[in-house]
Amino acid sequence: MQVLVIGLGNPDRGDDAVGVEVARQVAAERLDVTVLEFDDPSEAIDAWEPDDSVVVADAVSSGGHPGDIHVVDAIAHKLPTGRWSAGGTHALGLAAAVEIARALGRLPRSLVVVGVEAKHFGHGTPMADAVAAAVPAAVEAVLTALDDADALFTALDDADVVDAAIDDLGGEP
Amino acid sequence: MTHKLNQGDHVLHVDTLARVEGEGGMHVVVKDGLVADVELRIFEPPRFFEAFLRGRAWTEPPDITARICGICPVAYQMSSCLAIEDACGVTVPEEIRLLRRLLYCGEWIESHALHIHLLHAPDFLGYAGAIEMAADHGAIVERGLLLKKTGNALMTLVGGRAIHPVNVRVGGFYRLPTVEELHSIRPALDQARDDAVATVALVGGLEFPDMVQPQEYVALRSPHGYPLESGSVVTSSGRAFEVADFGANVVEEHVARSNALHAHLDGTTPYVVGPLARYALNHDQLGPLAKQAAHDAGLGDECRNPFQSIVVRAVELVHAIDEAARIIDAWDGASAPFVDVPPRAGVGYGATEAPRGLLYHRYELAEDGTILDATIVPPTSQNQPSIEADLRAFVQDRLDLPHEELVRQCEQAIRNYDPCISCATHFLDLTVEEQ
Repeated sequence: MQVLVIGLGNPDRGDDAVGVEVARQVAAERLDVTVLEFDDPSEAIDAWEPDDSVVVADAVSSGGHPGDIHVVDAIAHKLPTGRWSAGGTHALGLAAAVEIARALGRLPRSLVVVGVEAKHFGHGTPMADAVAAAVPAAVEAVLTALDDADALFTALDDADVVDAAIDDLGGEP
Repeated sequence: MTHKLNQGDHVLHVDTLARVEGEGGMHVVVKDGLVADVELRIFEPPRFFEAFLRGRAWTEPPDITARICGICPVAYQMSSCLAIEDACGVTVPEEIRLLRRLLYCGEWIESHALHIHLLHAPDFLGYAGAIEMAADHGAIVERGLLLKKTGNALMTLVGGRAIHPVNVRVGGFYRLPTVEELHSIRPALDQARDDAVATVALVGGLEFPDMVQPQEYVALRSPHGYPLESGSVVTSSGRAFEVADFGANVVEEHVARSNALHAHLDGTTPYVVGPLARYALNHDQLGPLAKQAAHDAGLGDECRNPFQSIVVRAVELVHAIDEAARIIDAWDGASAPFVDVPPRAGVGYGATEAPRGLLYHRYELAEDGTILDATIVPPTSQNQPSIEADLRAFVQDRLDLPHEELVRQCEQAIRNYDPCISCATHFLDLTVEEQ
């Protein structure tokens, strides 16, 4: 099992850089976490294993205000596949990639998406001020998601250890 | 709307086309049962790459133009390198050409695998998209993802990374992969080859709407085999010209509805670039395995039904995998990763075969290598007039279909071209108007 943080986006396309920027800042803070960057979301499906704990940071476009932060537990909830994550300029966006993984039974054991509302994706343009200003809060959201997953799986793993011990005792607690 | 369109006046309109690269739309006007107008609309603001290349150094286009598209960055790198080297009077050594061809195979594998399995197959199998298809045909989606992964791995191996490779430079590469590194991918290529042959068989058995395309086909033809990284231009009507004469044979025009320039041969004739054109003009250069797969799938010397482009794309997938394995097996290193390309004043031309078709670059350099002028003609803007011609013929023959079904089939017809609107400028969206 590993803990993965994936930053999605193209650093050279305006607000689309935000996922990668968040991931880089997480990498600077948490040396125990594997941080990856992709601008093709379908690669993310291959990056995780079934028992991994994964947080994905990406630019999203849902009609909200630039800089709004959306945190979605993608194990519990389907991702809306419309224009969500339209920051990806390609036919297969994050939502499609995650939903394909779900249909194929290839989701990791935890998957949280931290989306930052984005608006402008111009070539060679910088992130909008409102989006850049949201980076620290998005980093915090990623760290919180990591801690939550950690606590959850420590509890689950402890339960597994207890179960195994019970089995060793012949099923009697 | 469930009424039929062969009576009265109607408009088919799709605001935003799904499963294409970038953003665009379609608008079809039907008047008195006749198709009056077809427009493929491309919305994304014009891209200013050609303008912002001016004033940059002659060494920069491979890195700058790779950013035009995340799906075909290698095509941009290869065409720009050829054009700059042409302007500077340099020809790279054979081993550099082969390594470029190998990198390009990775891009073809990645791009074709994605389009065949995840973007186009759902149309033929009756699903709204890959997600819905995955529930019933998980094995097809898995195969597509695995093939795509192998293509990405090959691009990472040769190009440094998959999306915007960083190892390409004018004159060659920054670093050569070792023989051991190249051989490490051989097992994955063997698996990919078997998978791709199975994919040809699968898509060869799909049902295709009847359609025969009358347009001229345009592709490169090269002494080095099926065209990827080099060649001169040939057409199905027997024209042949050097890449340097591309500008004299192709005219680009601006149309109000689209931010992409439309390309015509000699300013009037729509033409097609891409898999069908390459196959018609180069099928004799396919490897034995790809030839056999094409034969088994029922393809003749030429295929003029654009819906069968998915079969030709699969045959090219087999060829790219086979070619990559062949290059790796014969590779025994290169003397140097690159050759010097000293600048000089002049004009250079380069064309290569992107997954979607011929990609042309032209650069004019000052004596110190400063770029004075740049022209880029991507495959999707060349195909745009043909996509519209296809839709016009296709819709006219199917006005008795229910509206939703006709719109769905129109989108499928557009996807025949795997349009990369990201390159053409960006984005697609479909309307059929009722007047």
